[in-house]
Amino acid sequence: MKPVLLIAINFAREQRWPILTLLLWVLLLAFLGLVTDIPRQREDLLFVFKQDAVYVLAFSVFFGGSAIYNERRSRRILGVLSKAVGRQQYLSGLVLGVTLACAVYCFALGMTGSWTLGEAGFPVSRVWFLMICLVAACALAGTVALMFSTFLNPFFAAGATAMVLGLPALAGQFLGSQWGYVIPVWELGATVVNSSFSSPGTASWFPVALAAAETLAFWLLSARIFAYVDIAVAVE
Amino acid sequence: MPFVLEFDNVTKEYRSFASKRRLLALDGFSLSVEAGEIFGFLGPNGAGKSTAIHLAMGFMRPTSGSGRLLGERFGHPGTRRRVGFLAESVALYHRRAQRLVQFYGALNGMRGTDLGKRAREVLEIVGLQDHANRNAGKFSRGMLQRVGLAQAIVNNPDLLILDEPTSALDPLSRVMVRELLLAARNAGKTVFLSSHLLSEVELICDRVAVLHRGRLARLGRTADLLRAGEQAEIIVRAVAAGHFEGAMARDGVVRFCVPAHTQRAALEKVWKLGGEVVSVNPLRRSLEEIFLEVTADPLSAAPKGGQ
Repeated sequence: MKPVLLIAINFAREQRWPILTLLLWVLLLAFLGLVTDIPRQREDLLFVFKQDAVYVLAFSVFFGGSAIYNERRSRRILGVLSKAVGRQQYLSGLVLGVTLACAVYCFALGMTGSWTLGEAGFPVSRVWFLMICLVAACALAGTVALMFSTFLNPFFAAGATAMVLGLPALAGQFLGSQWGYVIPVWELGATVVNSSFSSPGTASWFPVALAAAETLAFWLLSARIFAYVDIAVAVE
Repeated sequence: MPFVLEFDNVTKEYRSFASKRRLLALDGFSLSVEAGEIFGFLGPNGAGKSTAIHLAMGFMRPTSGSGRLLGERFGHPGTRRRVGFLAESVALYHRRAQRLVQFYGALNGMRGTDLGKRAREVLEIVGLQDHANRNAGKFSRGMLQRVGLAQAIVNNPDLLILDEPTSALDPLSRVMVRELLLAARNAGKTVFLSSHLLSEVELICDRVAVLHRGRLARLGRTADLLRAGEQAEIIVRAVAAGHFEGAMARDGVVRFCVPAHTQRAALEKVWKLGGEVVSVNPLRRSLEEIFLEVTADPLSAAPKGGQ
């Protein structure tokens, strides 16, 4: 377990600049909270909050899709896997790292959202539930991207991930809402995006649990594929 | 004697899906490295040295054949706890040298104050004690290679696999690495050293293997290889140079070289011609000569020698 944590923390540390850039948007939300009349501007604040939430979802795909590629291209992966670290542990570390990087951001967003939206009348418990939904969606989206990145370059990995995440959502639109739960990233994202002051919605844990289970499944699939990859071969 | 590293008829073929090209990096490669020796692994660029090392470390799988590292199949993570590895091009995370070495040590299951102490110790061994708190991202190539070496030895490994460990080092640092490797051997460790610095390999390696076009072209004890094909330089007086092939007359003496096993016959010929022998000096070949001989011949990729 210790190597997994070390790799995860190291990964999150390596992503510090993208995370800090993302946190600027949270800072913008905090700034708006400070300079505006919160009750009167509450819809604008909610809009910025939702926008910040969507950004992290996109970044989770970026984190997951480029993690292995970057490590292989820089050849740092050799240093890590030359130690007593199995490939499965390495991937676990990356999945945890992606989740951790997004969780740090979601925590900051949750704190700022609790203050700004809370003051505007949005239930604080609901803010934190939305953050849990967001972390679950990020973990799943990041793991799907990571799975594709074991054999595709980041560009194609991101495209393939968008297809895998988007198709169930599309099917949900045309064939029935239950299709949206096949890979519930869209559903979880929609929970955040569709929240409003008039109807903050009810907390359904089903998609969260499903996302956690699917994260596990995609991680296992990634580990299976990654076991056969020649990691020392130049990725270009 | 137990083998710490074994390749058994290993073949590795790289395939490009786009162009359908195939490249045979290793072709039926077999090799055994004994415990407690410094083994020199030589070969020209593209011979398959790094591929063999990466297979041993479990970074890739052989197309056919198998191998064992410290008694376990290649790729067994637990075994790597007893291995120290330094890649050809050192790539490390950008963080303080001390933290970096601790990170790699922790990945090998080391922890606590012992790890901190050991990290300081190995940084001192590689001469970076004054740079322990500097970010490795700002290090020169030579310093990076030394940090790489520090992370390789932090776990006090039984087997050191080093791919070009001195390529970016200055002469002083090379001496340091040489002493480090000799000390490791004296402590009963095994060193598998891939290098293009043949003079160094000649100095410290007990055995060497020359890889050429993915096949083992030469293998043997360093001393035996250097002795094989040994020649003697004979200097004589009062004999015409024309009596001996390749002889040169200069300053009143005639010099010529003969294979060591024909030395006696050559001396008898000198005496028969009424000449006087001034000196007979054995000439040893250098590893460079052997390397050039092996790699210059495209058909030489067949095992010769052999311990």
